[in-house]
Amino acid sequence: MAGNRIPSFGSDDSGYDSGIVEVFDEPGPAIKTADHSKEIARHRQHLMASELSRRDAEEYQQDMLEHMLKMDIETMPDVDAIDIQTEIQWFMRPYLLDFLVEAHSAFQLLPETLFLTINLLDRYCSKRVVYKRHYQLVGCAALLIAAKYGDKKEKVPTIKELKSMCCSLYDDDMFLQMEWHVLSTLGWTVGHPTVDSFMRLAVKDNVYDPETESLTLYILEIALYHRDFVSKQASTLALSALALARHILGRPQSRATEFSSRYCSTTVLELLQKVGEPSKILSRKYASVRYSGVSRVLSNYLAQKAAMSASAHTPITPTYELTPPSAAAKPAGPAYFRTYATPQKPQFPSVVQHGLYTPPITPEGEMFGVTQKTFNAPNQYVPPTPTPNTVSHQYSSQYPATIQQWSGETY
Amino acid sequence: MSSRSTTIPHRSSVSSTTSSQPPQTSHSQSRTQQPQRLTAQQLAERVISPASILFPHGSTPPPGRDRLQAQRRSPFPMDRRHPSSFQQLEKLGEGTYATVYKGRNRQTGDLVALKEIHLDSEEGTPSTAIREISLMKELKHENIVTLYDVIHTENKLMLVFEYMDKDLKKYMDARGDRGQLDQVTIKRFMQDLLRGVAFCHENRVLHRDLKPQNLLINTRGQLKLADFGLARAFGIPVNTFSNEVVTLWYRAPDVLLGSRTYNTSIDIWSAGCIMAEMYTGRPLFPGTTNEDQLQKIFRLMGTPSERTWPGISQLPEYKANFPSYATQSLAILLPQVDQLGLDLLGKLLQLRPENRINAQDALRHPWFQDLPDYVGQGRVQVSSSLHQPGQLGHQGVVPGGYGTQPGLVGPGGY
Repeated sequence: MAGNRIPSFGSDDSGYDSGIVEVFDEPGPAIKTADHSKEIARHRQHLMASELSRRDAEEYQQDMLEHMLKMDIETMPDVDAIDIQTEIQWFMRPYLLDFLVEAHSAFQLLPETLFLTINLLDRYCSKRVVYKRHYQLVGCAALLIAAKYGDKKEKVPTIKELKSMCCSLYDDDMFLQMEWHVLSTLGWTVGHPTVDSFMRLAVKDNVYDPETESLTLYILEIALYHRDFVSKQASTLALSALALARHILGRPQSRATEFSSRYCSTTVLELLQKVGEPSKILSRKYASVRYSGVSRVLSNYLAQKAAMSASAHTPITPTYELTPPSAAAKPAGPAYFRTYATPQKPQFPSVVQHGLYTPPITPEGEMFGVTQKTFNAPNQYVPPTPTPNTVSHQYSSQYPATIQQWSGETY
Repeated sequence: MSSRSTTIPHRSSVSSTTSSQPPQTSHSQSRTQQPQRLTAQQLAERVISPASILFPHGSTPPPGRDRLQAQRRSPFPMDRRHPSSFQQLEKLGEGTYATVYKGRNRQTGDLVALKEIHLDSEEGTPSTAIREISLMKELKHENIVTLYDVIHTENKLMLVFEYMDKDLKKYMDARGDRGQLDQVTIKRFMQDLLRGVAFCHENRVLHRDLKPQNLLINTRGQLKLADFGLARAFGIPVNTFSNEVVTLWYRAPDVLLGSRTYNTSIDIWSAGCIMAEMYTGRPLFPGTTNEDQLQKIFRLMGTPSERTWPGISQLPEYKANFPSYATQSLAILLPQVDQLGLDLLGKLLQLRPENRINAQDALRHPWFQDLPDYVGQGRVQVSSSLHQPGQLGHQGVVPGGYGTQPGLVGPGGY
């Protein structure tokens, strides 16, 4: 299944995944004559498509952009309202998102569907009290709606599939009810302009650069996990992530006249602070060839940066404000994330409620802090800055407590 | 909030599904009920996820069918809007996806069109409905049929649309001379059509199913686009889409050739076919199969080659052995069209999508110059002076274009 997903010139639906641009991803191992002509055909079709885009853009880009910006504001979740939720807490978010990211990949949905799903989820949570045991159900309903809105009919998950992904925690009927409840709560306004649509608009005049696009998407997906970006405009977020990706890859930034130059430097810095500790699920997803292995690129960049700042300055006295492990275990208020900002779900053994996690067992405890100055948490590739080992052990030994509490809960 | 808010009325509240100005006065009803005190549970139902999920084990409210009763009685405006606030009149059309009835608002007496969508108990809300409703909520324009309301009941979804007198097909049959319309009406309709299309495209929506049955005419002689069941939001650059869109006769040659990266030009081709049809009263290219459709097009427009259409041979459905036809002059086939009209038609019906005119430019075409609200002069206002309400027969002919014709039910596309 996953194999079909990798675009190659031979496969019938290549180009479907994230637009025609995918065509150039992988030339495939042995190009036979038939494949070769297919490849040429695809290339020509790609050229024709770009010509069509160019013409559409000439006439409609300005209007479309205005409309997208208007919809962007209209469909923005209210992070303060989500703060008020009594049962669901920000520290639960990474768990649900990991689940949704994996489900999204398993069903081979369009990239924009993931962003739309999280937008629907957050907008619903801005308007309704959600019980912990329904959090995952709301997430599934959002995924279902987003897929129905944008994806091919054949790709839309069935209720049965969703139910089994949730280990039959919910009845069929509950999915249907939640689906319509989400739709009616949102007033049927589904058309949120996703971050990736802004990103594509921003890079459309550049030479196709899969690495930059993948890294931007990676950064944007990491941002989904963080409270700080929930109520950010999709356009700002997309352009800032693009600017950061270009910086990391050493690509030139766009000229001041272009749409993509309208990023927000504060947001770029905020993003840079958060990209250090991506969810394992995400970093694995973006390690694949399909995404140009950008998760490795990112971690190398951060490692380098950390090493440089470690040698340049006198050893930074660790001003890390380490999270007391107990704080992670008890239902932490939103203030927790405002300060420490990286809701990393604790790594835990394979026994999980919803049965979907592949267990990355290595604890990664040392990565909890963020220095104000360098923005880089040292990560496992770097010889650590002065604090490290004791802390990390401390963490890993503390995790089980958290886990036990977690696995006792259904959400 | 945004610069567009002048053209698109803003909804004050996102939580209400009601669009800007519903014709029914269910509002007055809601106001009278508003002062009622809410019980704690009603309050809970109001903010919290669906009641039946909340109370799954038969506490209160009871699960199963009764909860729907509970929803009906519940105090949200959402649930108070019940199908019974509309009197259901005759059936206007039926398809596998939906049935359309004429309806009357019991409070105001206004006519509406009620599109009933049967809900699949297996897979919930159909994707066509999700797209149609969410896109139509974004598209508020005088040349697009207004969606007033969405009512959700036990096993169906009811969309309340503005009532339109008939669809273009029936209008032509009823009013035209053997289906042929007069030049002034055609020009007016083309302007309405292109305005609606331009508005969709500016708001990044492709209609993907333009045809006379989906263009509705009201008693004031205004034409509006309807049935967005196949519509889709698109992006720049163009995405890859299904090519199973648009009823065969109105399907663009690039789509027939298997291109999956079409853009706004797909709607323009349909508009061209419709323009010619209004002159002749018959469909321009009434093909029976994909291949027959292409042949009919090539017979008139000439068979394209790699020379006239670079890249064509790379399209999936391209055959090197297409019968080769020379280009015919549109003037011979359509002698009743004036010179400017032929020029516009030729620009709409370009084989190569890149060469097709876009809706905005088409509206600036000099053919429209003698219309009172020609956009080229910057005057945009509704004028229905050319169409006296009395001109149109009210009886006997009903519109079918809210999306029920069997042929247009989403052919697996997206």
